[in-house]
Amino acid sequence: MFSLLKSSAWGAVGLLAAVGFLACDDPGGPARPGPSAPPDGAALYASQCASCHGGQGQGRRGPALAPWHDGRDALVAAIADTMPFGAPADCVGACAEAVADYVLTLSGELQCDAPGLPPRRLRLLSRREHAAAIRDLLAPLGGTSGADPCTDGTTFRFVPPRAVSSVSVAGTFNGWDPAAWPMREEGGAWTLTRVVPEGRHEYKIVLDGSEWVADPSASATAPDGFGGVNSVLDVRCGGASGVRVPDVTSALPPETRPEAYPFDLAADVAYVSSVHVEEYLAAAKRVADAVGDAVVALAPGDEAAFVHVFGRRAFRRPLSEGERERYVSLARAEGDATRGRLAVLRAMLASPAFLYRSEVGAPDGVGYRLDAFEMASALSFSLLGTTPPDALLDAAERGELDDERGVRAAAEGLLDDARAEATMRAFARMWLGVEELGQLPRDTSPALRAKLREATERFVAGVMLGGRVDELFTSGALPADADVAAAHGASAPERAWDAVELPPERRAGVLGHASVQLRYAHSDQTSPIARGVFVRRRLLCQDFAPPPPEAGGVPEVDPTATTRERFRQHTESATCASCHQYIDDLGFGFEGFDHEGRPRREEHGLPIDTSGLLRDVEGFGTRTEAIFSGLPELGAALAASDAAPSCFATQWWRFAHGALEREEDECLVREVGRTFAAGDRSVRALLVEVLASERFRRRSAALEEVTP
Amino acid sequence: MIRRTFLRGALGAAVASPFASLLRPGRATASGGGARRLIVFYFPDGVAGRSQDGDASLWEARASGGRISLSEQLAPLAGMEERCVFVNGLQMGSADEGSHPGGAKKLLTNVDGGGGTSIDQYLASTVGASAPFRHLYLGAQATVNGASGDKFISYPSPGVTIAPEDDPRAAFRRLFDGTIVAPGVPGADPATEAELRRQRSVLDVHLQDLAELRGRLGSLEQRKLDVHLESIRDVERRLARMEMPGATAPPPASCDAPSLGYDVADASRYDAAVFGRILDAQMDVMVQAMACGLTRVGVLQGGHHTSELIMSRIPGSEMHDPGFDMRSHQASHYGARHDRSNRLFVDYIAQRRWWVAKYRALLERLDAIPEADGTMLDYTLVLLCTEVSDGNTHSHHDMPFVLAGGAGGRIATGRVLETGGRRHGDLLASLAVAMGQSVGGWGYESHGPLTGLVTG
Repeated sequence: MFSLLKSSAWGAVGLLAAVGFLACDDPGGPARPGPSAPPDGAALYASQCASCHGGQGQGRRGPALAPWHDGRDALVAAIADTMPFGAPADCVGACAEAVADYVLTLSGELQCDAPGLPPRRLRLLSRREHAAAIRDLLAPLGGTSGADPCTDGTTFRFVPPRAVSSVSVAGTFNGWDPAAWPMREEGGAWTLTRVVPEGRHEYKIVLDGSEWVADPSASATAPDGFGGVNSVLDVRCGGASGVRVPDVTSALPPETRPEAYPFDLAADVAYVSSVHVEEYLAAAKRVADAVGDAVVALAPGDEAAFVHVFGRRAFRRPLSEGERERYVSLARAEGDATRGRLAVLRAMLASPAFLYRSEVGAPDGVGYRLDAFEMASALSFSLLGTTPPDALLDAAERGELDDERGVRAAAEGLLDDARAEATMRAFARMWLGVEELGQLPRDTSPALRAKLREATERFVAGVMLGGRVDELFTSGALPADADVAAAHGASAPERAWDAVELPPERRAGVLGHASVQLRYAHSDQTSPIARGVFVRRRLLCQDFAPPPPEAGGVPEVDPTATTRERFRQHTESATCASCHQYIDDLGFGFEGFDHEGRPRREEHGLPIDTSGLLRDVEGFGTRTEAIFSGLPELGAALAASDAAPSCFATQWWRFAHGALEREEDECLVREVGRTFAAGDRSVRALLVEVLASERFRRRSAALEEVTP
Repeated sequence: MIRRTFLRGALGAAVASPFASLLRPGRATASGGGARRLIVFYFPDGVAGRSQDGDASLWEARASGGRISLSEQLAPLAGMEERCVFVNGLQMGSADEGSHPGGAKKLLTNVDGGGGTSIDQYLASTVGASAPFRHLYLGAQATVNGASGDKFISYPSPGVTIAPEDDPRAAFRRLFDGTIVAPGVPGADPATEAELRRQRSVLDVHLQDLAELRGRLGSLEQRKLDVHLESIRDVERRLARMEMPGATAPPPASCDAPSLGYDVADASRYDAAVFGRILDAQMDVMVQAMACGLTRVGVLQGGHHTSELIMSRIPGSEMHDPGFDMRSHQASHYGARHDRSNRLFVDYIAQRRWWVAKYRALLERLDAIPEADGTMLDYTLVLLCTEVSDGNTHSHHDMPFVLAGGAGGRIATGRVLETGGRRHGDLLASLAVAMGQSVGGWGYESHGPLTGLVTG
């Protein structure tokens, strides 16, 4: 059983400990107090403390400080011993006293009668958005984005019927040389990817350099002249009809993500380097080359009409007069209708006007307000992950996105588009950190890992588009195919990706998913720390500093102790416990699942204890607790809290805005979270609310306050 | 077409001096031209320095009786002491001391929280600006598992990091086989000429698009577009160079026809077993790019801090043990003492030695390529660094740095430099001075180049 209760048992110790444990960047720059500077508590607080604890001591990434109940001496001591984080020696003595005296004057109340507004932003398309936009801009040409064997290669895959030490492919394409194309073993299957020229080929698989067998996965066979058969491979370049959309993203640099920002959308740190410029140009050229003569079908009419129609699609707004002139003359300089249009296509797809989503707005008397086309882009990229469909641009042009009602209707409409699910899946994998499961050192095969991730994505997307947030932490249903079902101890569904019912110990929403359990672990053991921090950071939006100096590492695997016993030191030492009291118990709740996400009842023959205390669930220092045993109870405690639902709302806000909330945004973010947690908790309504309300649309007039 | 011309040019250069590598003359000592290039070689998670309980550092080299004695972690540099300066005693300040990310942010910026431009980026925009590629940032599994920006060490502008290129094939293609730009002998092919003209007119349109957007923005978003503008100008300059016959300078060092001996399948690029091969390939790309005059400033980042890289899975290494998973960061927390009965500690030492051996391999690659009266190494600065000193205490004091290369005679190598606790920004400033830039210091509390490091 779990219970949420107000704890009165721990006072000063808990708060003192809490003071010390959050590291935040100090954007204050070089204005560090020198030893001789006269201590000015307010100034020191503003430059050294406010970015974590909030301007009013209300708590941000760091714990709330005000109102402070434990006396001035305790506060002075806490500052002198632990603050500023990572450099406690910088503020002791008179400095610590001055800061403490200032903290004691703080109310701890956010001033929300005139809440701040988000800043205006230019948002560089992420690689995901960039690829989707190009795909959809070419959609009128019936494009396909499937792999092309003539550039991406053909993959041979073979699972030998017995133990072998080598497997290779030999055939007409390599002179039947058994040594030429060795395959590589991965998880029992041998694979090889090679570009095989267009045409018909015959081949065999060679085991241990001498045993020639047919490939059972080949689509056809031909007599081999020795009474057996060769496998037949038919390679056709390009694949389907229509224009093949080339790969436009794999060479682009990955997005940088600030700490604590899980998504690929961090606008304030997305800068275009010369590598970007080159790759954007190269991608645009590849697209133009792939489109070729078909370009005339993208838009009817002469060059000017082409620039007008395709330009509005690519730039997601009507072109300015200057833009029209530039692109029309670019087209005319080619002296040929097709080449002219291709030049326009190529230039537009690497133009800053295409590459940045504009959330800049126009002055509205008080601050700024996003225009209808900017709203169309925001809705489309946030909900569909791609450039706005023509119909949405038309709606913007007709003025239907000028008011909140129209924007809500448009957002609702987009959520019915099939691409919404793909976007929610992208949100899910980044929110939960399961994007790169394939890169982790685990024994589970890469193919199964990809499916485990897919199951989690489908589950979260399903809740986002038609469920309540509680299900994310309590549901026992999981979309699965036979392999995913087996990995979760469930029986196979009738059709792949129908929902299956998980066994009782996994009925805890995403907590019960093998993808999450496998992700937050090491190669040879579980990681209660990684799992506990995952719950705090991703599900509760409660941040932690990296471990302090002299924290020990991971205790070595010990065949005579359970993981829980090995980590006991964390909670026995007072220093360790100041952070680990919030982390380890949550991780222990997962101990019924090993580092591959497989269930286990014991470790080295010893029984596993999955009970724990979810301390300060509503925020550090709030003295709200839940006792749990196992994941379903932990999940239920999260679902019963206000913190987990409002954190989910916060994560969606971060996704929609392309940034972590700044202190100025906090009133808005808290309001969104509070309303969501207190309402019916329908996620679909939240998706619309965050984007469609005037709070998204109105932007601050102060332009300089965005800090990376 | 571009590639073919380029190779012809490169082969021509090789033919002109067929025995260059056999006739390697003595070291360039006092040519006075300064360093032509900089390579920063970064490895994660510190070294076995001064331990929590006060055991003396097992990293620092010592000079005695005119000889340098290497520590066990530096032992792979044996025989190359004369090409190195072992810099002891630098500190990065107390802010975020104890933190890996805090150290990574300060490492090349010397500004707390990464609030400054890193020295490599500054040099890229000054010394390196005339090269076709101003800056080359290559990684080996540095962006694994969606690594956040705080894992990166290169800061193009204050507070802004970029991600290294983790794929040697992509890096190689971009440099040597680019569809956009390649250094070559222009004027031969009308189709190439037409393509270059088209590229330039596209960029011209983009510059005007940019100017139009910029007018609507506040200053911070303008800064974003200013960086974008500079990046476009970079590419534009490269195109301009290609359009002007005769404007392409011959490569400064012997530029062999580049090739990439790299056979790791993309699907296994994040497997620890291939880590060394990726790092080798990235070193090759870096050295070839520099030999061919494509870039003058580069950063090689091996892994990232708090690395989960299972170093015991690196085949052929001292710490190889297929039956036991030992990660870099795990080993770095070897305990309070230097205890040789502790597996973590023994592995940690072996891992650090492995990194130093890789650094040595980089130096050897540079030293194998003739340049002027010596080798490329004589004209290159190669900095070895990591983001904390002792991996267990995470101290930001007594930082481990080794500098190698003759810097065209500007650096007197073959010695141990005791700096007595000066800020590491002084070393960063020394790099700039050795490359002919006059800087008064770099970042916080930095007062100028290290005394006695840079000559002339």
